[in-house]
Amino acid sequence: MIDIENLGEMELDILKELGNIGAGHAATSLSTLLDKDVYISVPEVRVGEIKNIFNEFIPEIVAGVIIALQDLEENRSGYLYIMFPEESSKTIASSLFGLDELDEEMYESTIMEVGNILSSSFCDASADFMDIILLPSPPSFALDVPTAVVDSVVSQMAMKSNHIILFETSLSAGSDIKSYFALLPEAGLFEDIMKMTELL
Amino acid sequence: MNSKILFTSNEKGKAIFLTERNVLVKSYCSISNKCSFQDGCQSCDMANTAKKYLADTTPNSGIIALEGELSAGIGEYKIGKNILLKAMGLGSCVGVILYDISTGICGIAHVLLPGTSQNGETKYAEIAIEQMFEEMIKKGARRRKIAAKFAGGAQVFKHMNLEILKIGNRNAISVEETLIKKNIPIRAKDVGGEAGRNVMFNPADGSMIVKYTKGETLWL
Repeated sequence: MIDIENLGEMELDILKELGNIGAGHAATSLSTLLDKDVYISVPEVRVGEIKNIFNEFIPEIVAGVIIALQDLEENRSGYLYIMFPEESSKTIASSLFGLDELDEEMYESTIMEVGNILSSSFCDASADFMDIILLPSPPSFALDVPTAVVDSVVSQMAMKSNHIILFETSLSAGSDIKSYFALLPEAGLFEDIMKMTELL
Repeated sequence: MNSKILFTSNEKGKAIFLTERNVLVKSYCSISNKCSFQDGCQSCDMANTAKKYLADTTPNSGIIALEGELSAGIGEYKIGKNILLKAMGLGSCVGVILYDISTGICGIAHVLLPGTSQNGETKYAEIAIEQMFEEMIKKGARRRKIAAKFAGGAQVFKHMNLEILKIGNRNAISVEETLIKKNIPIRAKDVGGEAGRNVMFNPADGSMIVKYTKGETLWL
């Protein structure tokens, strides 16, 4: 069992690089999908107490998808939460369809598919980097403030630990499209990171 | 003090006003659904009463000023007296309020998980409620007067592909069972649904304010 609270600089750096590579590839996918330039922010890794998680997320309503990550033996590696502020998600959905108005079901399903594409490229790239396998689950969609959405995921992690690691980065395409990525790794992923540091 | 929290009511409704430097900045109002200003609190009888109180702090019968606010983080509980209690951003979590109106001591717990644990962590429903209850009594609340209100336990995911995310309902059931087991009367509840909630407690009149993240406000 790894003590999340006392992770070293090296482990956090690997985690940051892992997320960075994943987000980079997701950005390429988003760029291809929208046919626009996509910019990526410098990622941040934070180790925090679960009780303070409310302060970590933007307070507005976002359209988001949660994807569970696991390895081949179905051990849970963590969760990926991809968020689009409401306006951005509408812009993405309508620009993909070339329509101004979409009915709710089409819109939700589009965002889920976008989440699916982004998470797949995220997983492929970061798993390749670490030489592990990360299989994304089908996306679960929710339209609400991020804290209300992640708390069911957080509750899963809270059974084992009072701390949580949050990797965050944002992608933007022009002024009208923004997207935030949060990666919440679980113990399985840390074991892989530890194995990697031993090899260095 | 620069920020005050005021409670006022009239025959039409009740409202909490958050103020900064004597300006109304935010309101939680029981008639906001019917109000054309939404939560902008430009002008109505209640807003005017509050503004008048801020302009000259002479005692005003229509206003009760609260001594600030306390917010319980995920898996925490907070206890106070004559203070606005908050649990923000509840999805599958449940906000549990225990209050004793006779002494004014009240508490709010932000419950994350159902059931109990071996090592007394307050993120679990049973432990949070038990510890908060005992601590309130230590602070002077009367055991037989304590009542409960709770809200939360939503299921925010519309297209659910992960079984493990269905925890909201279990949380709400666990809270209710614990309260019944401890013989704490349940005065109000608002559980389930698909939208996230912010839950507050106004000790001035003992009402739980449920503000949905998508707009609607309930006073229970």
